[in-house]
Amino acid sequence: MNTQSISVLPALLLVGCAATFPPPTQHLADAESAQRSARELGAANQPTAQLHLKLADEQMVLARKEMANGDNRSADFVLGRAKADSELALALARELNASVDVTRAVDTSNATATTNAAQGAVK
Amino acid sequence: MRTFRTCSALALFTTLAACATTSAPSELVSARSAYDRAQNGATARLDPADLLTAKETLDRAEKSLTDNGDAQETKDIAYTAERRVEIAESRARTLVETQQKDTVTAQMNASQTATVRSTSAALGRANQQLAAQGQELQNAEQRRADAEKRAAQATADLERIGSVKQEARGMVITLSGSVLFASAQWELLPEAQVKLGDVAKALTERDPDSKMVVEGHTDSQGTPSFNLDLSQKRADAVRTYLVSRGIAGDRITAQGFGLARPIADNGSAEGRANNRRVEIVVQPSATAK
Repeated sequence: MNTQSISVLPALLLVGCAATFPPPTQHLADAESAQRSARELGAANQPTAQLHLKLADEQMVLARKEMANGDNRSADFVLGRAKADSELALALARELNASVDVTRAVDTSNATATTNAAQGAVK
Repeated sequence: MRTFRTCSALALFTTLAACATTSAPSELVSARSAYDRAQNGATARLDPADLLTAKETLDRAEKSLTDNGDAQETKDIAYTAERRVEIAESRARTLVETQQKDTVTAQMNASQTATVRSTSAALGRANQQLAAQGQELQNAEQRRADAEKRAAQATADLERIGSVKQEARGMVITLSGSVLFASAQWELLPEAQVKLGDVAKALTERDPDSKMVVEGHTDSQGTPSFNLDLSQKRADAVRTYLVSRGIAGDRITAQGFGLARPIADNGSAEGRANNRRVEIVVQPSATAK
């Protein structure tokens, strides 16, 4: 093995790897699914969650572009960001809903106590 | 060849040294800071699983920094790590909210259950009280009806014995003197004792707490003092007999009026017969009014 062949080998390997990195379609589907769930739970109503949905949107546009250019590896990393943003939006939406539930439970509890008192219930 | 190897090793060493000193990109600095915040906060206790995922992602970013420097790949992984930390924090807060809601709901349910139980018990007591009051009312009504029946019966009995009239001073039972006593005598005839026994029974049943005055009256024949004395003795005789038949002594008094209060003309035999009489004036008790 001569000097030239040693120096060319890593380059060939890298090209081979880039060429064989599969399109991250599953990760794209995961990110889209997380984004859908977040929207269904009302993430668009919470400013911070809405921001992360927007970021996820932009990242998925970028990832699709990179996939179209054959840069699947880079697209995969971008999709990792998109999925994380979508899942954060989902978590924030759930948090908001939980907070609303607490307020509602407290209101219900107070209303029940008031109704009981008004109707002469015995404590 | 030896020179080439030496140069290659030197180049590799230089590259590694350069990587080791590469400063972390802002995404990684931010992710480290976020992780430290979560690790030292409630998230570590409330959502350790998600925080572990964040730590693993952060470790990947650190490794990428070591391997690739501040390449885009490192930035992407660090960005993802920070989001993972934020997800763990959000889920921890959600858990707190959920627990709070469960606590409020449980307290409300417990309070509601206790209220229903105590209200139900109070309602049961009220119903029992109401039933008892209803029964008492029914009993009182029955007693009243019985008393009315007894009173009506007693009045009917009295009307068979003598005349009965309602006057302002009370119910006046008038018994003929000739039925009760022999002429100018004050000892009760045997037949009179039977009648007075019936009177005593009727008076007791009608109103056991009433006060009575036995009044003796005569016609105008004879001296006034004789008649006054005779009427007093006859009134006393009737009182004594009534007391002997169960009427309390303190309920009944006797008074003779002699010829002072005629109710008919003493000029005729019939009138004089009517004037010779004993009247029992019954003053009803407060409860019987």
